[in-house]
Amino acid sequence: MNVRDVALVGGATTKFGVRASTWAELAQEIGVALFRSVPELRSEDVDSLFLGAAEPERFAFQSHVAPFAAEQMGLRPHRIIQRTELACASGQSAIRSAYAAIASGLSDVAVAVGVEKMNLPSMAEANTAMASVMDRAWDGPHGATAPPFFAMVAQRHQLEYGTTDDQLAAVSEKNHRFANSNPEAQFYEKTFSREKLARLPLVAPPLRLGDCSSMTDGAAAVVLVAADRARAYTDRPAWIRGTGQYSDFHNLANAGSLTDWVGLKHAAREAFGRAGIGPDDVDFAEIHDCFTISEIVEYEMFGWAEPGKGGPFASEGQGDIGGKLVVNPRGGLLGCGHPLGATGIAQAVEVYRQMSGAAPAARTVPDPEWGLVHNLSGSANVHSVMIYQRGGAA
Amino acid sequence: MSAEARPRRPTPTLAAPTPEPVPSPDPTSRPREKKPFLLDFFPLETADQTRLSRFFERLKEGRVSTTRCVQEGVLLWPPRTACPGCHTEDVDWVDLPERGRIYAFSAVLGGAPLGMESDVPFAVGLVDLDGVPLRLFGRIEGRAWTELRIGQSVRLESFDIGDGRWFYRFRADD
Repeated sequence: MNVRDVALVGGATTKFGVRASTWAELAQEIGVALFRSVPELRSEDVDSLFLGAAEPERFAFQSHVAPFAAEQMGLRPHRIIQRTELACASGQSAIRSAYAAIASGLSDVAVAVGVEKMNLPSMAEANTAMASVMDRAWDGPHGATAPPFFAMVAQRHQLEYGTTDDQLAAVSEKNHRFANSNPEAQFYEKTFSREKLARLPLVAPPLRLGDCSSMTDGAAAVVLVAADRARAYTDRPAWIRGTGQYSDFHNLANAGSLTDWVGLKHAAREAFGRAGIGPDDVDFAEIHDCFTISEIVEYEMFGWAEPGKGGPFASEGQGDIGGKLVVNPRGGLLGCGHPLGATGIAQAVEVYRQMSGAAPAARTVPDPEWGLVHNLSGSANVHSVMIYQRGGAA
Repeated sequence: MSAEARPRRPTPTLAAPTPEPVPSPDPTSRPREKKPFLLDFFPLETADQTRLSRFFERLKEGRVSTTRCVQEGVLLWPPRTACPGCHTEDVDWVDLPERGRIYAFSAVLGGAPLGMESDVPFAVGLVDLDGVPLRLFGRIEGRAWTELRIGQSVRLESFDIGDGRWFYRFRADD
């Protein structure tokens, strides 16, 4: 069986933030936004739906969420309907599954949607949901959540390589600045200088509030189609050229080095190999800045920065417009917020916008031929990578 | 099993005797309100719920232990019923070293899960156990996080969580 080429032909996101909306209302909202943003799309075209949702059972007390989302969005999928769950990478998992389905011929037109409602009346209950991502019986009782884990990554990176708090803040400043031009971002029209970031309270030392992505409500959706259907929806498709994934460990005890993310290297090698490109070919990247230190380690693991030099890479603006490549022009998880299942989809929406020339001037990537999307999940124990190429023939 | 029956493991005599640390307020030791299972991270410990109940029985004796693959001799953490390397179910129980050194640590200063809000601030860390290739994650009691340092020696101990169940943690006692 031949593998078919798969095109990304459009997408949309809701406003991200603390939303006065239920899970179902967010799903309805993204249905409206998706059909508005891809005017040629008809409900009956969509043969398959892949829903990225990390914890609807915890955050919304709702299971069997894929058909629930389909009904909210006005879809009746007739080939594949399923939910993908991979914590913070649930959204990219939905896209990878849709890609595999279309490439194999099982689907021709698929929607990948991500929906997450995280802000609850009791934030302690929401924090409990987040903590269940860890090994609940062996890490959970100690109070393990993402902030103290990534704080330990930052502490080791500072110890081993001399990375500074100000270099962490440089990542946050950049991504919040990009979010300033993104009306859908949680931190739209909010400015954070490095000095201001340094004065924010510690959450998990050495990480401060501005080093951490937020608990966010939001939804995002993209349309993926087989090559021969692409021109029906857009004359500026983005093509999926490579993807890779790697699951390294789960319990925190088995993490090995906190600063050498072996799983990311494996996933990147797989994705680059399939795309037939290398790290230096990437023009822009939407990578998983759940914490500032994550983006710094990712600079190194993808091969854009030398090992241990992710801190200077950040402070020198190498991930900014005018640098080596543009990293997180959407505003990242730091600036946009991180509605778990929606994040990976919203990153793909940004890829489409950049490659179709629809991104606002303040965050336009010059000549964006190759775009990379990365998500980590849990305690950086799983890494998921996708590589997109702009336009051109299939 | 009654809470009174708590034979403690004898203190090792090889090291110079160290003074007992001054008891610090220990929120995890007061009686706990029973939470619904799906909001409570502490595991179910009894033999009718888990095949690893010996781990928790040994905690009550002051012993923090784990399983070892009998075929390969590899220590497995967390304790498991089968070796992930050779897939044998032939595992036995061994006591873990009582001390280790901090590899990395941080503290939870906000955003704690249900039932842990009043513990804030609390320190957590990854600790390399002395003499074995295991690095365990856990709470670090006994010192404020501002007084911890990488490489610091800490004790691995069991404790009564306050509702009849036992768990383990580290104590900074130097």
